[in-house]
Amino acid sequence: MPLQAIYTYELSGLWKSWLIRAWLIATMLLTFLIVTSNWAATPTAPLVAMLLFPYLVFPWFLVVLLLGLNPVTGSRLEALSDGILSRPVTRLEYLLASWAARVTAALAVLFVVIVPAVLMVSLADRPASADDPVTLYGVIASLAVVAIVMTFLVSIGFFAGTAFRSSMFAAAALILIWMPVNIVLHTFSLEEFSPISLNQSLPTLLRTPWNEDETSTAVRIAGGEDLQAAADFFSAMTGGRPASTKREPEFYQQGNYEDFSLARVFMGYGFPTLAALVCTTALFYRHDL
Amino acid sequence: MELAIQTEHLTKIYGVRVIAVNDMTLRVPTGAVYGLLGPNGAGKTTTLRVLLGLQRPSAGFAKVFGHPCGPNATNVRAMIGYLPTHPVLPGHLCPIEYLELLGKLCRIPRQIRKPRLTSLLRAVGLLSATDRRIQTFSTGMRTRLGIAASLLADPPLLIWDEPTAGLDPAARRFTLDLIRDLAKSRTVMVATHILSDIDQTCDHVGVMHEGRMIFSGSMHEMKQRLRRDDFCLELDGDCEDIRQLAERASQVHGIEIMPHEQNTVLVKVTEGCSRAGVIAEVLRLVDQSNLTLQGIRSTQNETEFAYLQLLQQDSDHGFRRFDLQSPLQEHAAASDLHV
Repeated sequence: MPLQAIYTYELSGLWKSWLIRAWLIATMLLTFLIVTSNWAATPTAPLVAMLLFPYLVFPWFLVVLLLGLNPVTGSRLEALSDGILSRPVTRLEYLLASWAARVTAALAVLFVVIVPAVLMVSLADRPASADDPVTLYGVIASLAVVAIVMTFLVSIGFFAGTAFRSSMFAAAALILIWMPVNIVLHTFSLEEFSPISLNQSLPTLLRTPWNEDETSTAVRIAGGEDLQAAADFFSAMTGGRPASTKREPEFYQQGNYEDFSLARVFMGYGFPTLAALVCTTALFYRHDL
Repeated sequence: MELAIQTEHLTKIYGVRVIAVNDMTLRVPTGAVYGLLGPNGAGKTTTLRVLLGLQRPSAGFAKVFGHPCGPNATNVRAMIGYLPTHPVLPGHLCPIEYLELLGKLCRIPRQIRKPRLTSLLRAVGLLSATDRRIQTFSTGMRTRLGIAASLLADPPLLIWDEPTAGLDPAARRFTLDLIRDLAKSRTVMVATHILSDIDQTCDHVGVMHEGRMIFSGSMHEMKQRLRRDDFCLELDGDCEDIRQLAERASQVHGIEIMPHEQNTVLVKVTEGCSRAGVIAEVLRLVDQSNLTLQGIRSTQNETEFAYLQLLQQDSDHGFRRFDLQSPLQEHAAASDLHV
């Protein structure tokens, strides 16, 4: 019962916050602008990728980071300790509920705006859509990719909010860390995980049918590339160099992104998300309120 | 004696810089109304927050009804109704929504939760404000809502941190009456630096100074420590008559008398003399004069006097406050047992 109560309380608080309301309005306006200005000329897949660009790259990733920041920083700490944590609630229960509420809020804003827009541009009889259809699998997979990246962003925001007592400092630190992420990923040959690369690969993913992806994923797993990518990722996270046998990032060079692997992306963002949650819990457990 | 609260050598040091609680040992018997007294910064709130598991002790331990306190000690928090000083409440909620949330956090079933929160809102006089958001509440209303929140789970132990801070006289009276009422059925701990609150409500008292417990015992024991050697006489009459009374009284053995405030004289009893004898002699002199006695009163509130005396004694002790021996002896005893 406490988990659900905190989740509902946080969600209602978020819905009443100016950040979420302003973001919702802004994202609606931006989506409307992108759709109307590209309605006639842009094929469906690039147009959908264009719609998802603000969530992955700029500017909404900033909002998502900030959204994760504030549950355990600044003045909220006092209200939190007086109101919730002085009751029979564990800190883990509070963190999980609060994190889930933030992820829900971020994804709700994404889906409420994007799903109708994607349906409209894919189903409408537009001059530019005739030769470039998107698949249902492609749409679901693309939205899932954006969702996992947003979940990751909320989680690192959550971690920074716990690590630094000042929200302003946490926000500045996060932005400074996140801005050059492409350079960092390039250094460790992990460009396929960068938000820009993901966005560039979305048109290919959007055109991918369900069966084709299943086959290619199976082949790749058999080849052990996913495991290699995961190993490289962990190696990078621990400060080591990727294995010397690492192949060159072909899809990045080819530019057609055909060997895009959904499983690899989910691992690449899923593990750090879990790590951020574990670290946040460990840090928060040691905090004095 | 069953203990509601027990701390042993409790120490809290913030960031290796500030000592908030200093090797504090505290025992609160079950059923007591315990006043935790101390000047600002004495470590009262820190102690309470350690009991709630909101802060972790740097050394020592704290137990509530025999259960150790800590961040994950939900069983301990389930037994505590906590009222913070100037409670920070979610302003966007209405009182019913807030109590409903807390009821769910305390895992109170719906059938019990709903009637209890409505009766609590009525009891604290907030029934007419249930449609208002908490952010529009005055300090007194917030405190009353905080009181309702602390009672929601019907806990056996109430910990209220400065419950009368910022309240008007009527709200203060309401809160003190409530403490007396609630104390009939549960243990109450009230942290405050307002001595009259302690005087009116508590049967046990602990005095903290610079993070350390310098006195803990019953109110009776605290007042017994008092050495009262002076009192004031309020007189009605001419200034000349008062001056003459002072002159005559100063010739009596064991009395020092001097004008104090307007129409008041301060009578000091010399050490070793009988207080009752001195008072009788002074009253006889007043009776013989042209003055009318309007009252006899203490120069200070007794508890206030005892409290200030304790603080003064603690400061006077200087380096003798360094109590190295007892923790070391206990440690040695524990080591012997292990061997």
